[in-house]
Amino acid sequence: MSIIVNLDVMMAKRKMSLNELSEKVDLTLSNLSILKTGKAKAIRFSTLEAICKVLDCQPGDILEYKRTVKK
Amino acid sequence: MAKANDLIFTSLKIVTWIIFVGLCIEAGGLVVNFIFSLYNPEFVRNLYQKLDLSEMYNRSKFIFFSMYSFILVISILKAVLFYILTLLVSKINLSNPFNKSVSKQITRISYYTLSIGLLSYLARQTANNLQHHGYSIDILDQFWADSQAFILMAAVIYVIAIIFSRGVELQTENDLTV
Repeated sequence: MSIIVNLDVMMAKRKMSLNELSEKVDLTLSNLSILKTGKAKAIRFSTLEAICKVLDCQPGDILEYKRTVKK
Repeated sequence: MAKANDLIFTSLKIVTWIIFVGLCIEAGGLVVNFIFSLYNPEFVRNLYQKLDLSEMYNRSKFIFFSMYSFILVISILKAVLFYILTLLVSKINLSNPFNKSVSKQITRISYYTLSIGLLSYLARQTANNLQHHGYSIDILDQFWADSQAFILMAAVIYVIAIIFSRGVELQTENDLTV
């Protein structure tokens, strides 16, 4: 998919573990893992808001668009 | 409501298993008869459920084996169809029914139903043609009496399978929404 999730980058910048983020955002570890590995099909605004609040960042810091060339 | 559904599903399981066993016995009986008739032509007089095809066998072995193959394939397909149905009824989880295996099985059921319908229709037309040539085929009618019903059922099941596969897509999307 062209949308890349940079959650691991932001977590590394804030020196926060997945467990800690999961507790603070009130999301299950499996759901956070789905988001982190890029398997997620969609993200709720409420989830995005909570992550941005905890990581003190903008949605653009977590989500990135990269154009893919179709062969 | 959930209790009623459970009751319906349990009774459905029992009914499908009974029909499956019955169809297996029928298909098995026909296969055994077929093998016997290959080696011992005297056996043709007394096939499964007192089916007497000796006249057809004596007039043309090719026609006998063609018609018997139709009967055999249709009954085996019916047994396979009910086998998939028993698998579906035993594996389905009513609290989370939208998964890929259920969708795949419903699609397979529609394909098998269509195959049975088309084969039955073809067999019936062939039997009607043979009747014009003086063959007595009334005793074979029981094997392909419901060809149109099977074709119609296949169409309905196929539509359900498509709706179900869309349901599976929506469920997957919902599961992967965080």
